[in-house]
Amino acid sequence: MKKLTYVMSLFVVLAVLLAACQPAATPTEAPKPQEPAAEVAKPTEAPAEPAAETSFAGQTLRFLTIQPHNVAAQNLATWFEEETGAKVELIVVPYDNVIEKAVLDVTSGANEVDVIEYWYPGLGTMVENNVLENLDQWYVDNADWLKADDFFPVYFDTFTKIGDSRYGIPYDGDMHLLWYYKPLLEKYNLQPPATWDDYLTVCKTITEGEKGEAYGCAIMGAKSPLILIGSYLNRLGSFGGSFFDADGKPAINSPEAVAALQALVDESKYALPTPSAVAFDESLGAWFTAKAAMVEFWTDLGSMTDDPASSKIVGQWGVVPLPKGPGDKGKTVASVNAGFGVGVSTGSKNKDLAYAFLAFVANPEIAARYNTVVGGIDPVRKSTLDNPKFVEFVGAEVADAIAKAHANAVVWPTDAKWFKLQEPLTDNLSLALTGEKTPQKALDDTQKTWEEILGQ
Amino acid sequence: MNATLEKYTPKLMVLPTFLILLIISLVPLIYVLGISFTNSTIAKPFNDFIWFENYKKAFTDEVFGTSLVNTLIFAFTVTTIQTFFGFILAFAMQRERKLSGVLRTLALLPLFTPPVAIAMIWRLIYDPNQGMLNYYLTKWGLTSGVIPFLGDKSLAFPSIMLADIWQWTPFCFLLCMAALQSLPRDPYEAAMVDGASGWYVFKRLTLPMVAPQIIVIFLFRLLIALKVFDLIYMLTFGGPGNSTQVASFYLYRVSFKQFQTGYGGALSILVLILISVLATLLTKGREAILKRVE
Repeated sequence: MKKLTYVMSLFVVLAVLLAACQPAATPTEAPKPQEPAAEVAKPTEAPAEPAAETSFAGQTLRFLTIQPHNVAAQNLATWFEEETGAKVELIVVPYDNVIEKAVLDVTSGANEVDVIEYWYPGLGTMVENNVLENLDQWYVDNADWLKADDFFPVYFDTFTKIGDSRYGIPYDGDMHLLWYYKPLLEKYNLQPPATWDDYLTVCKTITEGEKGEAYGCAIMGAKSPLILIGSYLNRLGSFGGSFFDADGKPAINSPEAVAALQALVDESKYALPTPSAVAFDESLGAWFTAKAAMVEFWTDLGSMTDDPASSKIVGQWGVVPLPKGPGDKGKTVASVNAGFGVGVSTGSKNKDLAYAFLAFVANPEIAARYNTVVGGIDPVRKSTLDNPKFVEFVGAEVADAIAKAHANAVVWPTDAKWFKLQEPLTDNLSLALTGEKTPQKALDDTQKTWEEILGQ
Repeated sequence: MNATLEKYTPKLMVLPTFLILLIISLVPLIYVLGISFTNSTIAKPFNDFIWFENYKKAFTDEVFGTSLVNTLIFAFTVTTIQTFFGFILAFAMQRERKLSGVLRTLALLPLFTPPVAIAMIWRLIYDPNQGMLNYYLTKWGLTSGVIPFLGDKSLAFPSIMLADIWQWTPFCFLLCMAALQSLPRDPYEAAMVDGASGWYVFKRLTLPMVAPQIIVIFLFRLLIALKVFDLIYMLTFGGPGNSTQVASFYLYRVSFKQFQTGYGGALSILVLILISVLATLLTKGREAILKRVE
C-alpha cells in the first residue's frame, strides 16, 4: 500500500511539474463580438489565376466536407478534375463534427486536409486555433473575377470575416423558410401562417383534426446545437430578441427571448412526436410522407421534395417566410442556420492546389452549376437568384422567398467563445422542451453560465 | 555468472513489455493529469497553470454530477440484466449439443456488428412515426398513440439500455457458456449417484463452482458499460434534457465540442478515480463472496 502511495504521489508531482513549467498565465479576457483571434495565420502569397488555367495533373487534394453535402462535393471533385487534372479526395464527416475534425487535423499535426468546408459559427474557433489561412491578400489578388460585391452581405461578412480579416469564401447560404403541405392546410381551410400565433393555431388544428394520422407541424428539437438552437433562433429573432445586446453582453434571458422559448414549448405540444427526438431525418421523413403539414427547413427543400424517388408530395407544397413575432418588436426573419464557408487549411501540404480549388469553388460560373443540381448547396451570390436556370430549378416561388428573406436575415455568433456558449444553451433549451425547466429558468441559467464563461 | 543471468533474465524479458505499457498507458495519464491543472484548450496545451480550479469547477458542475449518476445507473442496470440473462441462456443451452454451434454464431452477430450500425438500427426501430416498434404496437392495439421512445425523458434511458442489452447479452452468454462447460464432471456424476435433485445440484454445485467466473464476467462487462458512448451519441446526444447524459459523452462535449481540454482532463481524472474505486470495491467484494462460497 505504501509503494502504491509513493507511485501515485510521484505521478501527481510529475503532472504538476509538467503543467507548472509552462509559460506564465495570461488573464482571460471577455471576447468582443467579431474580434480577431490572438494568433492567426499570416496572409500568404496566393496564386492569382483561377484554377481552370493551371494544370495540376497527378496531384491530389483532400477536401473536408459534411455528409449532407456529399453529392455536391462529389460534383465539385469531378468538375475540378476535368478542369485541372487534379484528383479530389473527399473526407466526409457528420455535419456537427466538421469543426472538431478540422481543428484536430491542424492542432494534432496530422495535416490531412487541404481545403475545409466549415460551419460558419465555428469560424472564430477555427481562426483562434490557427486552422484557416488568412485570405486578405487572396481577395485583393483575385478581386477582378471574384466579384465579391455579388455575395449577399449577410453571408460574405458573417461566413468569412473575423475582425478585419477574411478566412474563407461563402459556399452554402442556408436560411430557414416555412414549408407547408397544401392539401392538409386546404382540408382545414387554413392559410399559411403569417405570425407565430397563426402557426400555433394551424399546427394545433391539424394535429387535433388528424388524430395521429398526421401532424400540424414538425419541430426539430433534438439535442444538437445546430438543430435545437436553429429552431429557437427562428423564434428568437422574430420575437425581437437576440443572443447578445448591442454592447456584446449576453441577453439570452430578455423578455423577448423568454417569450420565444415559451412559444417553442407551446408549439411542441402539438408537433410531430416528439420534438426532442426529431432531427433532420425524422423531420424530412414526416414531410416527404405527408405526415407533417409544416416544417421549418432550408431553401433546398423544394427541389428535394419534388424528387419522386423520395417524396410522396411532389408539387403539393408551398413556401413562405418564417412567421412574424408578436408586438412592436415582432418582425419577420430568416435565420441563417447551418450556413457554410470554404477555406484553406494552414496545415495543407499543397497550398497552390488548395488555393486553386478555393478559386474554383468561388468562381461564379461554378457556383451557378452547383446551385442548380440537387446537393444541398444554396446560393450565396445575388446573381444566382437572377439566373433563369436557378429560378427554373428551384421554382419562382422559392427564388422569390429566398430573395425576400435576405433582407431579414439573422445570424449565429461567430466569436471564438461561441462553441463554449452554445452547449449550455442547447442543454437548457432541451430541458425547457421536456418541461424540466420553465423557459424563464432555462434562459436565466443560460445567462448565468454565459456570464461566467465570458467573465462578466 | 550463470546464477546472475538466471536471476535477471525474467526481468530482462519482461522489460520491453513493461516499457511499452509505460509509454502507452502512463505517459498519456501523466499528460492528462498535467493539463488538468491548466486552462488548456485544444490548440494551447498547458496554457495558464491554475492549480485545482478545474477540479473545484467539476464539483459544482451539475451536468457532470448528473452524467456520473446516469453512468452508474446505466452500467449497473445493463450489466446485471445482461449477466443474468447471459447465464440463464448459457445454463439452458449447455446441454444442447446440436444447436450450440449455430447459437454461438448467432450470439456473435451483435458483437460483430459495428456499434454505429447497431445504433442506427435501433434509431429506426424507435422512430416515432415510421419505426417498427410503434408500427406493431399500434397495429396490435397495444397502444393508442405514438410512443416517443427517444424523445420522452422517462423512456429515453430505458430505450438505450434495451439496445445495449440486445447488443451485449450475447457477450455474457458466450462467456457464461465457456465457464459452465469448463466445470469438472466428477461432482455431477457423484451427485447423480446420490440421487440429488436438479435444483439441489444447481444450488450446491453449479452456482458455487461457476460464481468466481460469473463475478469476473460481471466486472468485465461493468467496466465496458461505464464507458458507454456510441449509443448515446447516435441515439439521443445526451437528451432529452440531460436524461441520457453520461460521463464519457460529457467529457467528449467538453473536450472536443467546447475545446476545453484542461477542464476535460480534470473530468477524465475524476472519472478514472471513480472507476478505480469502484473496481477495487468490486474486486474486494468478489474475494469476500469467494470466501463465503468456499
